[in-house]
Amino acid sequence: MDFKDYYQLLGVSPDSDSKSIKTAYRKLARKYHPDMNPDADAEEKFKEVAEAYEVLKDTQRRAEYDELREYSSRPDAGFEPPPGWQTNNRFNGTESTHFESDFSDFFNSMFGANGSEPEQRSRGSRGQDAEIEMPVFLEEAVSETSKLVEYLIPVYEAGQVNEVKKSLKVKIPAGIVDGERIRLKGQGGYGQGDAPHGDLYLHIRLVPHPLFDVEGHNLVITVPLTPWEAALGAKVTIPTLTGKINLTIAANSRAGQRLRIKGKGMRTKTGNGDMFALLKIVMPPSANDEVKALWQSLAEKAAFSPRKEWSN
Amino acid sequence: MTEVVMWVSVGELCQCGGFTEQIIVEAVDHGIAQPAGGNNSADWMFDTAGAHWLRKAVRLHHDLEIDWIAISMVVDLLQQNESLKRQSLAFEQQLGRFID
Repeated sequence: MDFKDYYQLLGVSPDSDSKSIKTAYRKLARKYHPDMNPDADAEEKFKEVAEAYEVLKDTQRRAEYDELREYSSRPDAGFEPPPGWQTNNRFNGTESTHFESDFSDFFNSMFGANGSEPEQRSRGSRGQDAEIEMPVFLEEAVSETSKLVEYLIPVYEAGQVNEVKKSLKVKIPAGIVDGERIRLKGQGGYGQGDAPHGDLYLHIRLVPHPLFDVEGHNLVITVPLTPWEAALGAKVTIPTLTGKINLTIAANSRAGQRLRIKGKGMRTKTGNGDMFALLKIVMPPSANDEVKALWQSLAEKAAFSPRKEWSN
Repeated sequence: MTEVVMWVSVGELCQCGGFTEQIIVEAVDHGIAQPAGGNNSADWMFDTAGAHWLRKAVRLHHDLEIDWIAISMVVDLLQQNESLKRQSLAFEQQLGRFID
């Protein structure tokens, strides 16, 4: 077991007063708190800082730690607590951060409830909630669908953390939207002793679709048109999530125009969202002499300038 | 097939570390989550999104040792940030289709 230098972790000297320790903790906690900092290693850093503060903020626990620190400065390799070491200030986790179950072996052995008194831990804590991202295809979200969920759950046994692979079949309700969370009761971390298991939350992420964009319960499809289809009007076949439909494009349609197709969006609790056809005008890649002449003739006859207001 | 639930009760939240009924009432008073289930806080139910923000708020309240007014502002900004990020991604994706 490695000795943890909590003063070093908080960036304070061992003779710092409690106010300086608090200030240092707050500064680092703001920087690394996983709810504020999305970096992958922020949570690990926060856990270290929180563990250090958990010990140093409490005068009695700090005094005990200082004793251990003094003992650790002996030149022997590794760290072993002094013979017969027992804290008078055991940590029970009830007031602490939600990350306390991930505190280091050093903390758990010296101050933790699962150190030398395993029965104390078994009295109580409910298993931790877990959250995983669940990718769902738009086609799956249209109707109720079942998905297989596989995930790892940490299990604490004899002071060690092992990961157990779990797999569940889950019915995803129809009309689920991006960012929604589904709760699976009792499928999270295992509770200690008789305490209940935590829950598993599936954070729904709609997989980007090659054709459709999602706006709430509405779908948007970008419809490419030739300039003459936009000018003269056209009938085009549009794919939807449940089949194809025919859409009439009016003459003189503009790029960026949105046409509403009622009821062809995502399922909702009360019905269906809509689909919007977003018009886009695409120029042909090249033109032969005959086509060029026709464009030329159009330019002369249409007598239209989209930059008219710039000349004022 | 595993049972899917979209609600969390006050009693269930109170089984999680850091939660008490009083803390939940405090968080609701500051607009962090909107409960369903009437005037009696013991009967409140939260949808999964509400429960998610309550958990975040309680963590921040404890870990950063900041008061509820500041927490409600932080949660509000985090929600705005999340929604703007999602909107920005959606616009980027739509723009990509439009200028291809």
